[in-house]
Amino acid sequence: MILSRLLRRLPMLLAVVVTAATLNFALPKLAPKNPVETKLLEMAEQGGSLTDISGLIRSYEERFGLDQPVIVQYFSYLKGLATFDLGYSLAFYPTRVADLILKALPWTIGLLLTSTLIAFVIGLLFGALIAWNRAPRLARVIAPGVMALAALPYYLLGLALTYVFAFIWQIFPLGGGYSLMALPSWSWAFALDVFYHSLLPALSIVLASIGTWALTTRGLMVTVQGEDYMVYAEANGLSERRRFLHYGLRNVMLPQVTALALHLGHIAAGAVLVERVFNYPGVGMLLFRAIEQSDYFVIYGVVYIVVLMIAIAMLIVDLIYPLLDPRIRAEARQ
Amino acid sequence: MIALLRYLIGNARLAGGLLLLGGLIAFSAIGLVVYDTELAYPLSAPIAREPSAAHPFGTDASGRDLLAVMIAGTLLTMKVGLIAGALGVGIGAVLGFVAATYGGWVDRIISGTVDVLLTVPGLLVLIVLASSIPGDLDTTDMALVIAALAWREPARQIRAQALVLREANYIRMSRLSGAGNLSVIFADMMPNLLPYLGASLVAAVSGAVLSSVGLEALGLGSRSEPTLGMTIYWMMLEGAFIRGLWWWVLEPIVVLVVLFVGLYLLSSGLDEFANPRLRTAS
Amino acid sequence: MADVLQVHDLSVDYQLATGAVHAARNVSFTIAAGERVGFVGESGSGKTTVALALLGMLRHPGRVVGGSAQLEGTELIGLPRAAHAQLRLSRIAYVPQGAMNSLNPVQTVRRSIADGLADHGQPLAGTTLTERVALLLQQVGLTPEVADRFPHELSGGMKQRVCIAIAISLSPRLILADEPTSALDVVTQRQVMETFGDIRARLGSALMLIGHDFGLMAQTVDRLVVMKDGRIVETGEVRDVLRRPEHPYTRDLIASVPTLGERRSGGTLASTDERSPVIHLAGAGRTYGAGLRRPGVMALRPLDLALGGEPRILSVVGQSGSGKTTLGDIVLGFVDPTAGAALYRGQPIASLRGAARQAYRRDVQAVFQDPYSAFNPFYRVDRALAQPLLKLGIVRTRSEATARMQAACAEVGLDPDRVLGRFAHQLSGGQRQRLMVARALMLRPRVLVADEPVSMVDASLRFAILDALRTLRDRHDVTVLYVTHDLATAYRVSDHVMVLHSGAVVEEGTAEAVLREPAHAYTQLLVDSIPWPDPDRAWGGSALRSDNGSSPQTKTGR
Repeated sequence: MILSRLLRRLPMLLAVVVTAATLNFALPKLAPKNPVETKLLEMAEQGGSLTDISGLIRSYEERFGLDQPVIVQYFSYLKGLATFDLGYSLAFYPTRVADLILKALPWTIGLLLTSTLIAFVIGLLFGALIAWNRAPRLARVIAPGVMALAALPYYLLGLALTYVFAFIWQIFPLGGGYSLMALPSWSWAFALDVFYHSLLPALSIVLASIGTWALTTRGLMVTVQGEDYMVYAEANGLSERRRFLHYGLRNVMLPQVTALALHLGHIAAGAVLVERVFNYPGVGMLLFRAIEQSDYFVIYGVVYIVVLMIAIAMLIVDLIYPLLDPRIRAEARQ
Repeated sequence: MIALLRYLIGNARLAGGLLLLGGLIAFSAIGLVVYDTELAYPLSAPIAREPSAAHPFGTDASGRDLLAVMIAGTLLTMKVGLIAGALGVGIGAVLGFVAATYGGWVDRIISGTVDVLLTVPGLLVLIVLASSIPGDLDTTDMALVIAALAWREPARQIRAQALVLREANYIRMSRLSGAGNLSVIFADMMPNLLPYLGASLVAAVSGAVLSSVGLEALGLGSRSEPTLGMTIYWMMLEGAFIRGLWWWVLEPIVVLVVLFVGLYLLSSGLDEFANPRLRTAS
Repeated sequence: MADVLQVHDLSVDYQLATGAVHAARNVSFTIAAGERVGFVGESGSGKTTVALALLGMLRHPGRVVGGSAQLEGTELIGLPRAAHAQLRLSRIAYVPQGAMNSLNPVQTVRRSIADGLADHGQPLAGTTLTERVALLLQQVGLTPEVADRFPHELSGGMKQRVCIAIAISLSPRLILADEPTSALDVVTQRQVMETFGDIRARLGSALMLIGHDFGLMAQTVDRLVVMKDGRIVETGEVRDVLRRPEHPYTRDLIASVPTLGERRSGGTLASTDERSPVIHLAGAGRTYGAGLRRPGVMALRPLDLALGGEPRILSVVGQSGSGKTTLGDIVLGFVDPTAGAALYRGQPIASLRGAARQAYRRDVQAVFQDPYSAFNPFYRVDRALAQPLLKLGIVRTRSEATARMQAACAEVGLDPDRVLGRFAHQLSGGQRQRLMVARALMLRPRVLVADEPVSMVDASLRFAILDALRTLRDRHDVTVLYVTHDLATAYRVSDHVMVLHSGAVVEEGTAEAVLREPAHAYTQLLVDSIPWPDPDRAWGGSALRSDNGSSPQTKTGR
């Protein structure tokens, strides 16, 4: 059952990953001047360590087989990506792009996974609550404020939070993944330091996405409340708690889990800028530095890996979904 | 007119959105007339000054007058949003209608492409696209870059709406009356989708503004034009926080919050306006 | 016998900005223990409002403004929320109208039954629960394994019976059923109503049945209450009300019930000369969703049919999913057959272009079920009438079109000045459907597909529209393909009847032959399942197929 579902979803996600890879391959070639070659030429002219540069150019030509026809170049490029051969960083040659990303990835995944899950749970509960006929007054009062947060991109909220908590009140650090003085180690003190530094970035993602989830959940909950089974549950004198949790929220959860999968790309893109605002040492900051230095292989590598991670996450959500919805379960059995 | 006012009282989000955006547009339009926006370029004012009578919003570390930057930046940012949003909805509407009306393999190709592209995170693709274009991206280039992906969502939504409409009895009636595909799209579907197209235009403009400010904040925008996103970029790059230049941090944040909240309220208010009609139409 | 329910002077208002709407006014009635009372009236008559007031489920802006309602001595009006909720299910149980969607889609039948028990002080689990659920399901004619199914795995009739099982789970004194069978086909309707009968015999619960169908009432209740505009206009023993209705409103309602009893004589045919058919279905059939490895669903098995030769009214009768709508869509060119061919004057319909397509559109027209959605809300209704005249080249000028439109309106009894130039939402449902008939009259097609043209108009207008179809045949030589689920109206208007079941034609012949003396068992079952508005006439004679969950269920539309 899981296998058949997997087989059905895989082509779509494969198409997404290949599309991202193809764009990475094609866009520089379509540009009036190939940006990668321009950059290499620039570096060669500036001199510096000439030996390194020539090695870099050689590896670039080898990797893309520039004397080969475009279609051959394309497939050897795809083959490289499939084996996580993302080439070398232009700015930090001979560091491999894959190594740079590998170092940054845990920071981003840790930040995004926790803040997205927290925001999803709180947003769902809050949205469902304010749509409920007899919502607590407090929820109704703060609702418009929470909804307005949905309009703001994470980084803007991040800047505002930094301004208040790190600049004026100075109770949180201005940025970074850990203190300048701290040495990365597997110790409680360091873990606490990391946690302390991740609070503001996480809070800006959580606050901004709670609004989005609450808003959509409210709409869905209003619809669900009009469903026959909600009216019937009330006509049967079921308790308010049961109707809210097991009849209302339980059914609203289904489309929202699907929405979570579709939103992952949006969330990841938003996180890139949050990391920039907080100088957080994840892939977003890596991407920003690469843009500053026109380090094209790092840009393409990060984009490719992020798309790949999103595809994998979507697949996981997709495999969890049948556990929540008996209708899909039955469909998969057939 | 009175009916309009009465509707606005009922639809608070639409009213709030119009109020915020109207205020912002009035601010920049009046500013354009009474204030010298040439001061928005580097070295036209003293460096890093607090707000004062001469420079009401203060100046930044490169000697830009920030009031001039806010006036010019709001207009430039709105320009990018409008161009990209209009192109996105235009292209999206054509694709959506064509997919829904012709169906078959045409539909499969269009909606398959849209589905795949919608899953790819837009901002990341735009980063690859913007960084691959050599030289400085001016605001018009920026609008075109964003339009390259801005049609996905409108195409999907308009296709869905048109598919619902296609099964409506009056569309079937129109076909029985001898109407062809083009006549059905333009004379029967389009008028009923006008409010919806309006709502999706605002949504697309809102998305385009979001993308452009995001790209600029990463440094991918025009280095010679004073847009709101580039102001954020310069502010972060030159360490306004560490240097204690609070006005440089606060002003673009406030203007952007007003812009985003205004667009969001307008967009959801318009949705509320557009959808009851669709419900009765389908 | 003691009264279970005593309602006295109950009034309910809906407080709107424009003023109060009196949804129920001084309603008084009693229901004795074990008695079955039917509430009839058209929509807006206040019957559902009264039910909601009794359940304590009136929503804002609805409010009880006066009167009392006592359930075995307990005053229901003004009862606190929580107390009222405790009363529901345990003493007054509700069976919903939309049983199709009334069960929580993500939980099993067992869980749905257990929820009701748990929230009324009986939190059961394990084997105690399993035994209780099995007993309840057995009482409504379902097998114990239904307990582990999800709602989407049940047929409509089974879902409705699960709702009845929930309703009797705490042996209430009164069961309140709001149009419990309106979403079901006639065969299932009869099974569900028989379940209600069994339950009453076993538990002695009184039944308050809300509905609009006199036939159904005649077969199931002891006493009738007729409501109109929030008031009770007539009440009495069901026999008396049906035989000797006192209020003119009751008389109108009863007169508009179509039955298999009366039938207009064939009528004279205007022209009898031999004409070649316009539409010819040659082994045309349609399969949906077929893929490389899936066979797909056969919506319509290949059949032969010629239309537009000798004018006649041909009824296509079937329940939902029988393929009758697909047949209509093939004739109209909206759906291409996947087997055989649909020909217009010898040419496949899908291949028609230019002038040939225009001619086809002139010759084959339609009247749809929902007259509101047939008008584009953006335009005035004139466009729907003028568009075909101009586009199909029937007239040259606008003024000519206007003249024709006015004449057609007059012919269907509409005042052209009062309907033309307006938008569809400014007209009544009856006016809209008559306009659609006027459109058909004006175009004078050779073939008219009428897909359930009267199922959404008021009972009083039904016969006028059906008679218009006969006029089309008699005066304008039109062949009408009347698509319907309703055997009685089919019997009333048609010359020929074709009965569809699961995409196949099971019986075909003259209306008299097919409906008075059905040869096929399925037709027999359909005819027997029609509830007659006569309490002394037995409901059905042939054995019922059992739909108790043990038989393999047919796949539903989902």
